[in-house]
Amino acid sequence: MATDRGLLQQKLEAMTKAAAAKTHLRRLGRLFNETVLIDVDGDEFYLTFEKGDVIEIKPGPSLKTPWRFALRVNGDALMKFWEAVPRPGYHDIFGLVKYGHGRIDGDILALVKNLRFFKEFMALGRIEAGA
Amino acid sequence: MTSSIEPILGRYVGLNIGGAHQRLYFEEAGAGHPVLLLHTAGADTRQWRFVLNDEAFTAHWRFIAFDMPWHGKSLPPEGFATTEYLLTTEAYIETVLAFCNALGLERPLLVGCSMGGRIALQLAALHPDRFCGFIAIEASDFQPAWYDTDWFDRPDAHGGEMGAALVSANIAPHAPQTERWNTLWMFMQSGPGVFRGDLTFYTRDDSLVSRLSMIDTQKTPVHMLCGEYDLTCTPADAMRTTCAMKGATIAIMEELGHFPMSENPKAFRPYFADALARMLG
Repeated sequence: MATDRGLLQQKLEAMTKAAAAKTHLRRLGRLFNETVLIDVDGDEFYLTFEKGDVIEIKPGPSLKTPWRFALRVNGDALMKFWEAVPRPGYHDIFGLVKYGHGRIDGDILALVKNLRFFKEFMALGRIEAGA
Repeated sequence: MTSSIEPILGRYVGLNIGGAHQRLYFEEAGAGHPVLLLHTAGADTRQWRFVLNDEAFTAHWRFIAFDMPWHGKSLPPEGFATTEYLLTTEAYIETVLAFCNALGLERPLLVGCSMGGRIALQLAALHPDRFCGFIAIEASDFQPAWYDTDWFDRPDAHGGEMGAALVSANIAPHAPQTERWNTLWMFMQSGPGVFRGDLTFYTRDDSLVSRLSMIDTQKTPVHMLCGEYDLTCTPADAMRTTCAMKGATIAIMEELGHFPMSENPKAFRPYFADALARMLG
């Protein structure tokens, strides 16, 4: 079942707002100035980070927007990832990849260097879900 | 806040391993038959802090845990500054046996987690006479890396922070926040290249696969424990490994991940109590 595009946009906007309110997260991301592609069932969202803040969420598709790395994920799996207490395998972005629900493309080292920051950002959807 | 002194005692022992002098740190608590506890890659004895502080366990067993060379409070050997640390199965086995000899441990029960569990199974195959039984936690025959081990030893990034962020994938969401972060702190503190050197051994040496059939669980019991949230050693990996050892038993642990004794001691406790009871026959 395809995940609603508008709902995803709202979710990412809510995560952006939640991230801006987290002092430790902004400190963790202070050197993170990249554009990341989040691809959910083919629906693209280009998130541009500057010093740990999301300064733009640009909906795709776009062939002209460069990105550093991409998280491509199955929508149902992403919803399970965002459950308040996710089930085994859905509890981490690497779990989604390991069990074939998603893929990470691009400059993976750029992700790994900022891994805690990016994983905590992605998990903010979970906090939102539990709110 | 009330102050308290824990019953854990820490000491150092000098050993000769691979022709090099090694000063190893170890902790112990309890009285009874010895149980040797082996930590995971990139961490140290602190992973066992709750077991060593558990009065119900220490009333019946003498628990001993040591920091592997290069880990925790065990210094690396002389010349480390110009040495690439790469752990091997042979060096790991030699270290465990040398430690047992130095402390005069008579057929201890061997308990290991992750790479410690892997080496426990290697010892079950190659030196079963030296131990009375084996509890292998988050242990499997072999897994290739699903990550690049070189990520964790780079001059332009903090290997400890990256390693901690990676292994956090293996911790269950049920872990109390305090113990989740205490568990990750050990990885953050790990010396440069140490986690990589451990992972190189763990992800490239597949020699255990052909040795599992050598294990005689009638003489030395083997019990496996695996957390359902472990992404590194998945329940499927642990089940496959268990099935290759005739007579071995396994428990899949709910709401636990790759560092069960450290990330969530309360949830781990009943599984470990059952494992110890099985070793009594």
